[in-house]
Amino acid sequence: MKKSFLIARSNIRKAKGQTVTIIVLILLAALMLNLWLMLSMDYRKNFDRYHDRFHAEHVTLSVDGNTDEVQSFLSQTIESDERTEEYQLDSCMHMIGTFPYNDGEMNGWFVFLEKQAAMTRSIGNLEIVEEGNLTSGVYLPMLYKTEDIAVGKEVEISIGSQKVVYTVCGFFNSIMMGSHNCALTEIVLTKDKYEELERGGCAPQATLCSVRLTDRSENLNYEAALKSRVSEHYPNITMMSNCYDIVSQSRYIAQMICSGIMSAVAFFVLLIALVVIVSNIINYIQVNMKGLGALKAMGYTSGQLIFSLLLQFLCLTFLAAAIGAGISYLLFPAVNTMMIAQTGIPYTVHFLPAPLLVSFAVLGGTVALAVWSASRRIRKIEPITALRSGIQTHNFKCNHIPLERTKAPLSLALALKTTLSGVKHNLTVGITMLALSLVVVFSGLMTENVIADMTPFLNLIVGETADSCISVRVEAEDGFLAEMTGDGRVEKSYLYTSLNVSHVGGAELMATLCDDFSKINNQDLVFEGRFPKYENEIVIAAKYAKENGFRIGDEIEIAANGKQEKYLICGYTQISNNLGRDCLFTRAGYERLGLLTNASYYLNLDDGTDIDAFNLEMKEKFGGSVNTTINIETTIEGVASVYVSLMTIIVIATLVLSAVIISFVLYLLVRTMLNNKKRDYGILKSLGFTTGQLILQTSLSFMPSLLMSVLLGLTVCSLIINPLMALFLNGIGIVKCTFHVPLGFNIAAGVGLVLFAFLAVCLLSLKIRKIAPRALLAEE
Amino acid sequence: MKEILLETEKLSKSFSNSGTMQHVLKNIDLQLYRGDFTVIMGASGAGKSTLLYALSGMDTPTLGTITFGKKVISDLNSDGLALFRRAHCGFVFQQIYLIDGMSVMDNVLSAGLLVSRDKKALVTKAKALFAAVDISEETQKKFPAQLSGGEAQRVGIVRALINSPEIVFADEPTGALNSKTGLDVLDTLTGFHEQGQSVVMVTHDMRSACRGNRILYLKDGMILGECDLGRYSHSDIQRHEKLSAFLKEMGW
Repeated sequence: MKKSFLIARSNIRKAKGQTVTIIVLILLAALMLNLWLMLSMDYRKNFDRYHDRFHAEHVTLSVDGNTDEVQSFLSQTIESDERTEEYQLDSCMHMIGTFPYNDGEMNGWFVFLEKQAAMTRSIGNLEIVEEGNLTSGVYLPMLYKTEDIAVGKEVEISIGSQKVVYTVCGFFNSIMMGSHNCALTEIVLTKDKYEELERGGCAPQATLCSVRLTDRSENLNYEAALKSRVSEHYPNITMMSNCYDIVSQSRYIAQMICSGIMSAVAFFVLLIALVVIVSNIINYIQVNMKGLGALKAMGYTSGQLIFSLLLQFLCLTFLAAAIGAGISYLLFPAVNTMMIAQTGIPYTVHFLPAPLLVSFAVLGGTVALAVWSASRRIRKIEPITALRSGIQTHNFKCNHIPLERTKAPLSLALALKTTLSGVKHNLTVGITMLALSLVVVFSGLMTENVIADMTPFLNLIVGETADSCISVRVEAEDGFLAEMTGDGRVEKSYLYTSLNVSHVGGAELMATLCDDFSKINNQDLVFEGRFPKYENEIVIAAKYAKENGFRIGDEIEIAANGKQEKYLICGYTQISNNLGRDCLFTRAGYERLGLLTNASYYLNLDDGTDIDAFNLEMKEKFGGSVNTTINIETTIEGVASVYVSLMTIIVIATLVLSAVIISFVLYLLVRTMLNNKKRDYGILKSLGFTTGQLILQTSLSFMPSLLMSVLLGLTVCSLIINPLMALFLNGIGIVKCTFHVPLGFNIAAGVGLVLFAFLAVCLLSLKIRKIAPRALLAEE
Repeated sequence: MKEILLETEKLSKSFSNSGTMQHVLKNIDLQLYRGDFTVIMGASGAGKSTLLYALSGMDTPTLGTITFGKKVISDLNSDGLALFRRAHCGFVFQQIYLIDGMSVMDNVLSAGLLVSRDKKALVTKAKALFAAVDISEETQKKFPAQLSGGEAQRVGIVRALINSPEIVFADEPTGALNSKTGLDVLDTLTGFHEQGQSVVMVTHDMRSACRGNRILYLKDGMILGECDLGRYSHSDIQRHEKLSAFLKEMGW
C-alpha cells in the first residue's frame, strides 16, 4: 500500500498539467452531477413537504354558486365517495382574470377568498410570507412578487370584464393555488375589498371544495368523478379544478428541464473525463514502459502497479468531486432563485448527503472501472523486454502518407502522418467533439426556438397562439362574429374554447373546441392522423392514448354535463398545458354532450393593431356579453420571460462549459503530444523546420478528427435532436418535437468550434518554441 | 587561396551553472574553408560540441560574431537560424536521430522538401545518394527501428546531404557504432568530401580524425593549435603518426 502510494504520488508530481486537467474535468462532472441529483432527489420533494405542512388538498374544485343547496349537494357527493379522507367547503368568488406581470400579463382562473376565511381553513392553509401594515387591499401568491408588484404598490386586476385597482398588502404561499400553472390561482382580499367585489358583481359567488384523499394516487380519477357528478346534477355549470398530480408536475416544469439538461451535461463531461483518463493511462504505459519494466524487475507486482494508478486517479477524483460538490452548493442558491421564479415554492438550500454520496459513488466507480480497464495491459509487460528496448508501439506495417507519393504540402503531409498514427488522440478528440456537438445543436435549437423566437416552443407547449382571445356569451355570438367579419383590423377569427370533459372510466381531459380547425394558426397541433371534421370525431393526446392503449380508429366514451357519447379517434395531439390529458372536438362534436354557454374566439389582428385598445373597444361595444378579453401576446410574454431567462442562462452556461472542456482536453492532448514528440520536433528543428511550421503541423494534425467528429456530430445531432427532445419532454405530454433545427447556426457553430479548437491548439503548441535543437544534442 | 566559408570573431559561449558563469568558449577567432574536412578534437569538456552547435546555428553565442559568407548568423533569431540551417547545413548526429514514425525515404524527403519543391528530382537525388551509401530500395521502405546502427547512420548522412549543403556538421558520427560500421560511415563521409563537400566533424577518435585535412585542437574553450594533414589518402601511412605527434604536442 505504501509503495503504491509512493508511485502514485510520484506520478502526480511528474504530470502536473495532466493532473490539473483531470481535476477540472471531474470537478465539472461532480458539480453538474451533484446539482442534478440535488434537483431531482430533493427539490421535487419540497412540493410534498409544503403540501404536508399546509395540510393541502389533493383535489380542488371551484363551482359556481354558494347557496345551501349547492353546498349540501357538494357535501353529500364528497362524503359519499369512500376515497374522501376529509374535505372543506368555502364560500368564494371566482372568475377568469388578468394582471400585469413580468412585462406581460398573468392570465388565469382566479379564486377570491376573504383573508380571515383563507387563513383559518383547515385544509389548504396558506402562509403569509411578506406583509406590510396595510389593512385594505390584496394578497397575491409570492410567485408574482416583482419590482412592479410589491407591498404598498397598486396592481390593476382585470376580473371578467371589469378592472379593479388594489393596493398590495402582502404575499403568501399556497401549494395548490399559488401559480398560473395550478389552473386555479388564489387571490386573497381584505374584508372590505372582498365585500366591495361582492357588491360589484363582476365575479360570481362560488364554492371552493378542498378534498384530501385516503390514497393520494386516486387524485386524477377522483377529480374526474367529482366533476362528472357535479355536471350531471348541474348541466352547464361553470367550474374549474386541479389535482395533486397535475399541480405537482406543472409547478416543476423548469426544475424538470433544468435537471434534465444538467444530467445530460454531467454525463457528457464524465464521459469526456473517462476518455481522457483512459487515453492518459495508455500513453503513460507506453512512455514509461522501461520504468514499469524496472519496477517489475525490482519486484513490484502488476497488481501493485495497477493499484498505484487506481490510487492516483481515485485520489484526484475524490479531491475534484469534493471541490465540485462544494462549488455546487455555492451555485445552488442561484439555481434555486431561477427555479423559484417558475415553481413559486420557496426552497431552503441545505446540505444533502444522499446526492453527495451518489455523486461520489458514480464518479469513483466509473473512474475506477476506466483506470482498471486501461491499466490491465501492465500485466503483459515483461521486465526484460521492457528494459531492453521498451515495447514497440509503432506499427511497421504502414507508412502513412508516403512523402514520395503524396501531393499534399509538406506540413500537411507530416500533420496527416501524426494524425494517422495517433488513434488514441483521434478517439479522444472525436468523442469530446461528438459530445460537444450535441450541446451546440441543443444550444442552437433553444436559441432559435425559445430565445430568438418563442413561437415554435409555444406551438409545442401551449398549442395554439393568436393575438387576442375574447370570450362572449353564446347569445351574443352572432353579433360578435358579424362585427369581427366587418372589422378591417381582424385578419381571422375562430372559435377556440377550452373546457373539461371526462373520459368514462378514465381521467379528466381538457377539451379544446373549434368550429373549423383549418383556421387555426398551429396546423402541427395534430401530428398524426387529422383534425376532427365530423361531430363523432375526437383527437386525443398521444401520451394519454399510449397510457390507455388507444389507437387511431378506436372509440372512446366521453362524458360532460351529465351525458355520455362515443367518439372515433381520428388523430393524436400533444398539447402540454394539461400534461398530456387533452382532446380536440369540433363544436358540433362537443355539443352532443351539451350546449356551450360561453365561447372564446381567437383573433389574428393586423400588424400594428393595439391589442389592448382593440379588446377594450370590444368590451365597450358588447358590454356584459363579453366575459373576458385576453391579450394573448402579453400573457405569453409574462409567463415566457421566465423560460427565456432560464434557457438563456442554460445556453450560455453550456457553451462556456463546452469551451472550457475543449480547452482542457486539447491542452492535455497537445501536452502529451509535445512530450511524446519532443525528440522528433528537436530533430525537425535541427533540419531547419521553423517553430511556426511545427505549430501549424501540430494544429493541422488535430484537424481531421476535429473536422470529422464535428461534421458527424452536428449532422447526427441535428437529425436526432427532435426525437431526443421529445423523449426529454415526454413527462409533460410531448411525444413528437418539430422544433426548427437552425442549420445556419449549426454550421456557424461547427465552424466556430473547429476554429476555436484550431486556435486553442496553436496557442497550446507555442511551447514548441522552447524545444531547442541544442537540447537534443545535449541528450547525447 | 582558399575561400572562407564560415568565420568567427571573438566567439564566446557561457552557461550559468547554479549562479556561476561557466565560460565554455573563449574569444575564438576561426575561419573554416570551403572544401575542407575540418576536424575538431579535444579532451572531454573542452567545448568541442558547443563550438559545433554555435558554428552550425544550432545555438547562439554569448558574445562575438559568426559570419557565413557575408551573412552574420549570430544575430539571427531561432527561425532565422532554422532557415539558415535548412539552406546551408547538413547534420550527422552521434545518436543518429531519425524520426521513428517515418520510413527511411520519408526521413530523407522531410528534410529535402523543406528546400526543394521538385519532388521528382528530389526522389531521384535521394535514390542516388542511397545507392552511393549502399542502402537498398528495400531498406528505404523500412522504419529506423528496423535498421542496423551502420545503416541508420548512413541514412543520416543521406539526409544531411539531400539539400546539397555547403557544409556538413558531424558530431561524433561513429561514436555509437562498432568498429566495422564506423569505418563504413567514415568512408562515406570521406567519399563525399572527395567530391568537394565541406565537412566539420567533432571527434575524439584518432582513426576518425585522420580523415580530415585540417585538425583543430580545443582546450579550455580556446583553440590551442591546428595541424594540416593534407588530403586524405588511404595509403598515407605517415598521417596517423603526424596526427599523434600533433596531439602529443597539444597535451592529448
